[in-house]
Amino acid sequence: MADMDPKVLRHKVENINTLPTVPSVLKRLSAVIEKPRITIVEISAFISNDPALTTKVLKMVNSAIYGFPGRIASVSHATMLLGLNVIKGLLLGVSVFELMQKTMSGLYEHSLACAVASRVIAQKKNLKEPEEVSVAGLLHDIGKVILMLEFAEEYENAMKEAQEKRVSIFDAEKGQFNATHADVGGWLAEKWRFPRNLIEVIEFHHRPMLAKNAPLETAIVHMADLLVRARGFGFAGESFVPEVNPVAFELLNLSDQDIKDVLREMEDNMQIAEDIS
Amino acid sequence: MPKIAADKLEPGMKLARPIVGKNGMVMLGEGTELNEKWIERIQDMEIAHVFVDGPPVQTISREEALAALDARFVLVEGKPFMNSIKKIVQQHIEGLYG
Repeated sequence: MADMDPKVLRHKVENINTLPTVPSVLKRLSAVIEKPRITIVEISAFISNDPALTTKVLKMVNSAIYGFPGRIASVSHATMLLGLNVIKGLLLGVSVFELMQKTMSGLYEHSLACAVASRVIAQKKNLKEPEEVSVAGLLHDIGKVILMLEFAEEYENAMKEAQEKRVSIFDAEKGQFNATHADVGGWLAEKWRFPRNLIEVIEFHHRPMLAKNAPLETAIVHMADLLVRARGFGFAGESFVPEVNPVAFELLNLSDQDIKDVLREMEDNMQIAEDIS
Repeated sequence: MPKIAADKLEPGMKLARPIVGKNGMVMLGEGTELNEKWIERIQDMEIAHVFVDGPPVQTISREEALAALDARFVLVEGKPFMNSIKKIVQQHIEGLYG
């Protein structure tokens, strides 16, 4: 499908609510979070009306992954503490979990580890909202889920090609779709009215030098993604560590000890990740 | 920090992570030393496994882990900063094997 038009692809992705392969829970969520002026109260009500979703969200916010270990007892408490955008992101994260398991084995582990690593680096860099960066880490590969869901055969081809020709999945996607999971994720994040910073991180996590509003956050998720692959947690399309962007690496200016700390926290939290599902 | 199945727990083991219920609330705190009573309750609560103190259990050998690391870095050998990143990850992995 080398002649796929990115505009057509984008149109399909943006109409995710009508795609037959998308499960109804994600469609409903998508319809809620794309509303222009959704309030925290509405989001809380949406979660609270669904006991399974409530359980998943509380488990997630109470896990070590999010840096609020234990003690958040209610959805309203969680939304107050985390804010609208983090909650929206978390909702998506827990809702695509099963989808990730079905479409690409290992992608959820990759995403969770990336959420942990992103939070730890954000804390090391003294960012004010490490949870937002963590959510960006959790969702950075959401484009892969949608591509896999809609174009399973083409995506399998891309993964096969990446492994055989020893190229990144990012480059192999270009050959199949004339676009990448980062583009797809960016379109979705825009459709779902995520803040500019989060859209940028998702869109540019492979090319952090293009981030205009959130260069630091984008560099963080770029680095987190790389470290998760370096450690070998999960699977994200092929098994190669990509080259770090030198500008992003220097912008982050992490010490060896910082990187060791990130690896250590990932290690401690990955076993727990299995329990969050 | 090994993960132990609930039916394999023994008195004297210490929780490395709190046990949380369905709603995310803590039921037994981190550091709790397990006794017969607690173990029985954990099993009654249909908890599949808990985390206890101790070195993590690795599923592959040290040599396999390091060979897999080399394979992952094959495309970026010698690229800027990548050798030093790899070295840190290698030390981390070696550290998992004591």
